[in-house]
Amino acid sequence: MSDIKINRRDFIKLTVAGVTVLAGSQIIRRAQALETLASNGRQWAMVIDQSKCTGCDYCTLACRAHNDIPPEISWNVVTKTGTVGAQDVYTPRPCMQCAHAPCVDVCPVRASSYRPDGIVKMDYDRCIGCRYCEIACPYGARSFNWKQFDGPNPSVPEWGQPDISRRPRGVVEKCSFCYQRIDRGLALGLTPGIDEDATPACVVVCPVGARLFGDLNDPESNVSKLLRGRTSYRLRDDLGTSPRVYYLSATEESQS
Amino acid sequence: MKIKLPKFTPWMAWIGGLVVVTAAGVAAGLMVFWKGLSLTNLTDMVPWGLWITIDLSSIAMSAGAFSLCAVVYLLGLKRYEAVARTATFIGLIGYTMAVLTLLLDIGRPDRFWHAMIYWNKHSLLWEVTMCVTFYLAVLALEAMPIFAGFGWLRSHWPKLSERMSRVHHYAPYLAIAGLALSMLHQSSLGALYGVLKARPLWYRPDISVLFIISAIAGGMALTVFASMLSARLTRHANVENSVLDRVSIIIGWVLVVYLYFRFWDALSMTYTYEPGRTEGLHLLTGGPLSFNFWIGEIFLGAVVPIILLLNKRTRALPLWRMLALALVVGGVVAYRWDTNLSGLFIILSYLPGEPAVTYTAYSPSLIEFLTGAGIIGYGLLAFSLEAIPVVGD
Repeated sequence: MSDIKINRRDFIKLTVAGVTVLAGSQIIRRAQALETLASNGRQWAMVIDQSKCTGCDYCTLACRAHNDIPPEISWNVVTKTGTVGAQDVYTPRPCMQCAHAPCVDVCPVRASSYRPDGIVKMDYDRCIGCRYCEIACPYGARSFNWKQFDGPNPSVPEWGQPDISRRPRGVVEKCSFCYQRIDRGLALGLTPGIDEDATPACVVVCPVGARLFGDLNDPESNVSKLLRGRTSYRLRDDLGTSPRVYYLSATEESQS
Repeated sequence: MKIKLPKFTPWMAWIGGLVVVTAAGVAAGLMVFWKGLSLTNLTDMVPWGLWITIDLSSIAMSAGAFSLCAVVYLLGLKRYEAVARTATFIGLIGYTMAVLTLLLDIGRPDRFWHAMIYWNKHSLLWEVTMCVTFYLAVLALEAMPIFAGFGWLRSHWPKLSERMSRVHHYAPYLAIAGLALSMLHQSSLGALYGVLKARPLWYRPDISVLFIISAIAGGMALTVFASMLSARLTRHANVENSVLDRVSIIIGWVLVVYLYFRFWDALSMTYTYEPGRTEGLHLLTGGPLSFNFWIGEIFLGAVVPIILLLNKRTRALPLWRMLALALVVGGVVAYRWDTNLSGLFIILSYLPGEPAVTYTAYSPSLIEFLTGAGIIGYGLLAFSLEAIPVVGD
């Protein structure tokens, strides 16, 4: 039965090989930690003021154009969620960019991952289309490309020009906080949340200024100041996902 | 001039029928690869459907392999060896069926290997993928001596056949590896559902336990059923009936354990209202899945087979015993189907205030049925052509 024989020399060789692999993986992990510092400690967040939102859906359309999204899919959904006084209240829902995102945990191939600035990023070249993340997301923020999107995008050019390429058939996609705009803007020395070219398309297009964007780690950013001044809430906070999208409720006083 | 045709037998009709079903499945599968998943009735609300049920069920039905190999090589009960060999063969077929179904089900089958390269150690689906891959290798090694015994191999490549039959010496190590890998992923398939906090009906630890227990019952049931069927169909297949009788008793008791846990699992959910979970349970106990649940899972899938298998008189009658074993298999499939859909049919609102629940529905499309039937047809064909001579060799 004992056809396998390992002598001492082979054993030492195997052990050395094993230790080398382990040490190598630790070095790679350190390198990844250094990358985190490269975000300069910025943590992007979005604030949605429901007392201002009129449910016009411009955000959804601008999002479709800038991210070249097919008409069947919405990265941003605006739902009517009640009334305050005589005013309808709407709840727009982009991806929450959770700090503890269920989708990142469940993905079998790490196609969803955290960027150092907190954005949950999809790698469309890696996704295998198993759709486990769709099932795990409490916000329904993920959509699968059931078919290839070809032909013209009805939202282009009226609502903007695509900044990113279309996703292929068979992968899951979701809102990205337009990080392509953030990254390009930062490279040009612009400030996301202040300069339009460095800010998510939905924030830029909003005609009533119901959306704000900025760095949570900068106490002087517009989002930090707003969140200090007013009471905010997050969707399904009870789940412990720690979303990066904050809502300011519509109240009787805010309507008047 | 007259050509003498071979006599048409029921066996040929069976094989011919399976070839037709498998061919239709292959054609439908190619359509899916070409046209994409829009041919299915799956949606963003119900992204997993018939295929995931076939996938989970064929893995569950393969659990006879690790259970019986552990009995033979770890407990040293050599008289179960013949039945363990049948189980290994069924396992090999079952896992290839699962891999085929997964290839259909993922949106990018060309990237199936990504899990091997891009590890996410937090993901149960990653763990399952790795375990299935390694276990498929273990099963192939375990089945090596069976393949080595085939006449044509022995006469054409005697040296290779000799090598392959020598793998038998490693059977105990393979049994340990198989046991470890199976215990990891059979339960992880249930935990896939159990870890999702967004789905209150699933978010509980019990599913993983129930999945492995029901898999052991279903896997052994299919093995005994297949052994009995091939003994009836071919003369040289001859497994000791006392062995099959013992295994049938074990299946009966495993079902008792399963039913016990299932009872507490379901009952504990009936206390206090919890949004999403209570509605999901109601889908099973009184909604669109209730027939499946009460009749398919509980009554026909567990209660009836327990009675038939633990009662000496009915167990001794081959037809009653085979009926009971077939019911066990059906019950396990029903459990997988119900678990998947009861969680997906409930959509829990993310909006503030009282969590509102809405419902959705799903029934498979023709193309899903055709590919599903094709995969099952392939499994039956592989077993009919290869494994029947294997039983009791």
